[in-house]
Amino acid sequence: MRSIMEIAWAREASAAPVTVDNVTVTPRSRTLVVRLPKGGFVWSCPTAVVVEQDGQARRIPIIDLTRVAQVGLLGLALLRAGASLRGPRHTEEPA
Amino acid sequence: MTDTRHTGPGETDALLDGAGRQASKMLEKIFAAAQLGAVFGQPVQSGSYTLITAAEVTSGGGFGAGMGRGPAPKPDAGQSRLTEAGPTPAEQPIGGSGYGGGGGAMGRPVAIVAIGPNGVTVRPVVDVTKLTLAALTASAAMLGLRRAMRRARKGMG
Repeated sequence: MRSIMEIAWAREASAAPVTVDNVTVTPRSRTLVVRLPKGGFVWSCPTAVVVEQDGQARRIPIIDLTRVAQVGLLGLALLRAGASLRGPRHTEEPA
Repeated sequence: MTDTRHTGPGETDALLDGAGRQASKMLEKIFAAAQLGAVFGQPVQSGSYTLITAAEVTSGGGFGAGMGRGPAPKPDAGQSRLTEAGPTPAEQPIGGSGYGGGGGAMGRPVAIVAIGPNGVTVRPVVDVTKLTLAALTASAAMLGLRRAMRRARKGMG
């Protein structure tokens, strides 16, 4: 039986650094690989850029705003669905 | 996709092995499409800025193969007249095999890295079309759920 690490794994990698004047930018990305006996898929997304300037390095994250908004919409839809399934609040009828 | 008829078991196995090898090569090519070079584009100079595009890249694929054998169909009256001169269908093994596969890759811009006189900035790229479609789908699903709930309550009352 194949272990999970042989079927799916993730790795982070750096692309070739780009130097402009005295600034060096190194892009970083994350890759998820799922490999099945008769197929598979690869998903790669950028995670950050590492900026080196004057001997100092700082990491600027790359945020996928489209994905964040999509997940937010999904969360809102699930919350509304949950609220609808719970039904209306019980109100006491007048005597 | 391929289909063979009246092939021997050896021929079929060879065919399926060949299909597997071809599919593995195809998968390697699909996986290569989502490598690091595809995520970050080549730096582009625009005025005093150097721009690097960052994209999300997804690729995938799969394949399948199968074979089968069975007894020859019984000839009807019309067929038996036609096959009187030649070998009867019952004498011939009936079988077939086939294989097929597919795959694809897609990319979506996520951000633009700008290296300029004011330093390095990351500007996000928002896919308005995708978000609009997601919002419409979520709204339609919510509307459908609400209507179903109303109908269910009316049925109970």
